[in-house]
Amino acid sequence: MPRNGLRRIVLVLMAATLVLAACGSDSNDTGTTDTTAGGGKKTTVNLAFVGPLTGPNANLGINIRDGMQVAVEEANMKGGDITFAIKEFDTQGDPAQAPGQKDKYIPDESILAVVGPTFSGETRAVLPDLNEAKLVMISASATNVALPTDIPSDVFHRVIPDDGVQAAGIADYVTKKLKPKKIALVHDNTDYGKGLWEGVVKLLGDAGIDTSTQDAIDPKSQDYSVAVNKVKAAKVDMVFYGGYYNEAGRFKKQLADAGVKSTFISGDGSLDPGFVVSSGAPGGEGALLTCPCRLATPDIAGAPGDFAKKYAEIVKKEPGTYSSEGYDAANILIKGINEGNTTREKLLAYVEGLGSYEGISKTIEFEKNGNVKAGDVFVYEVKGGKITELGKTSELAAG
Amino acid sequence: MTAGAIYALIALGYTLVYGVLRLINFAHSEIFMIGIFASLFAIDGLGIDVTDSPKTGLTLALTLGAVMVVAMLTSGFLAVAIERIAYRPLRRRGAPRLAALITAIGVSLFLQELFAARYGREFLGFPRVLEKRKLFTFQGADVRSDKVLVIVAAVVLALALERFVARSRLGRGIRATAQDAETAALMGVNIDRVVMLTFFLGGVLAGAAGTLYGVFFESARYDIGFLPGIKAFTAAVLGGIGNIRGALLGGILLGLLEKWGATVLGGEWTDVFAFTVLVVVLMFRPTGLLGESLGRSRA
Repeated sequence: MPRNGLRRIVLVLMAATLVLAACGSDSNDTGTTDTTAGGGKKTTVNLAFVGPLTGPNANLGINIRDGMQVAVEEANMKGGDITFAIKEFDTQGDPAQAPGQKDKYIPDESILAVVGPTFSGETRAVLPDLNEAKLVMISASATNVALPTDIPSDVFHRVIPDDGVQAAGIADYVTKKLKPKKIALVHDNTDYGKGLWEGVVKLLGDAGIDTSTQDAIDPKSQDYSVAVNKVKAAKVDMVFYGGYYNEAGRFKKQLADAGVKSTFISGDGSLDPGFVVSSGAPGGEGALLTCPCRLATPDIAGAPGDFAKKYAEIVKKEPGTYSSEGYDAANILIKGINEGNTTREKLLAYVEGLGSYEGISKTIEFEKNGNVKAGDVFVYEVKGGKITELGKTSELAAG
Repeated sequence: MTAGAIYALIALGYTLVYGVLRLINFAHSEIFMIGIFASLFAIDGLGIDVTDSPKTGLTLALTLGAVMVVAMLTSGFLAVAIERIAYRPLRRRGAPRLAALITAIGVSLFLQELFAARYGREFLGFPRVLEKRKLFTFQGADVRSDKVLVIVAAVVLALALERFVARSRLGRGIRATAQDAETAALMGVNIDRVVMLTFFLGGVLAGAAGTLYGVFFESARYDIGFLPGIKAFTAAVLGGIGNIRGALLGGILLGLLEKWGATVLGGEWTDVFAFTVLVVVLMFRPTGLLGESLGRSRA
């Protein structure tokens, strides 16, 4: 019967889609292939990338993965007995999906270290288990202040200053340079967004700025009209948003549509070209975005510029937010492994006793709790649909 | 209010299907999502680019009209196709209603993942079609062109549907089937056609809602239908599921309640407040504000 035939086709299609979807979500071995495959006994060592490669704010994870890629290809190009590869574990940046991925990379003996997890919330979800497995992690981007204190561990490291440093940078810049009387502060209820928001609220309040206009939005919703109306009614000079670029862009757009012209400032989670896309180009104009990181561009002299050129060669695009940090994190691990630290325990001990490492993002030196010793906070502005660097907060505030 | 009007349009689809089949069509939120995508492709198809300036006057009306018709037809026919493929075989074999419900969830996930696989998991931006201009200020609130469009279009479509069901011959068929499918069949009503029509109408409205949502929020993604879908379902229950006027009332009421709750209690309380109200209403009026009555729909 033709009806039955049709039904069968549909069933097969549905089954095929499910299988495809399943494959899509855990394609772990898209790392580099063995480019220097010669004779002799070469061993392959895997570094895990843990973070979002799909999902609403995936660009930040992709940037880190691509930074790692550059480090790995460089290391493999040099030759040596060890071939490096990346195994990807896509969490979509979601704390609820992080444990499922953890159950894949912790038992995988070929993995000696983790670069990531990308976001603070997902890091919190898996850190106790990483610690138990003595699997060293270096996050390029998890900046929540309370992470090392809430969950004491040996394995936690990050090559980016925490949100306390960023909040201080933002507060410094806002109070000394922009000098608003009244600022609205909005966050997205994530570990990162709310954490940064709390730091900024406190510091600006201490500086005597009116911080009474506060609200939170639901990142799953499209409609921020309540927060927008509140900001509009309060007639503020500035708006601060703590959260990630997709929502930040939409929020900025809805503010602009409602006629709110106050200066908009947000943190590193919003520093991505995705911000410009989701704000609908004109809506995002003039937004200020800060980051305790410096975006590597080809015109910066020295190591960051060289990295940007190499990145463009290998990844075929410009480095983004955290690309340099991902590169540094991977390089620290590669250096340790090349020096013979080829078990998880040895590599952990190596990272713990790293001392001072000259990275391209900054000179990296870990404190006892895994934090990196303070770095600079940079300010960027959206101009003509492009994210352009204004400078360090400390210099801008002084000037 | 704007969100409420969109909820109301989606809620009508839930209500119609429930009224006729006693089935909660969970795939309806995906029919809405596809309406948004269809609008986006229609806008692209008309050669409108992100960098173009918003349309005005007649061009605007024609553009919006064309986009909406494309979205309405796409969603309408999709809804019919879903009914043919996923629900009718079950109905023919007298499967329990629970089986159809599970199929509905399956279809919903299937469509979501299909779009995720095809168009990625990132947001796609809409070009700006309608300039968001402030028209006038009413009691301290700005009345904006895009909001007016959404509300007016939603109310007009909902009322048109109400008239159609209440007055036309086909509408009478729908009402008869809703009251008593077997008797209606004995009286010469073609049940399959009525069910198809019901799904088509629900789909058409979801498509229209998709266009309005797209023009208003200017983004599309595979899972964008989920939240509005749940809210619309809530709105349908709040107004009395199976009841057309109830869906309209429920949608707008839910939209207002949400906004009000969020303003008074803070943004993170939006859903808590809206759903608390739903539970309280259902405690005292288990059939919703206007009761369950597609069949008895007054005319």
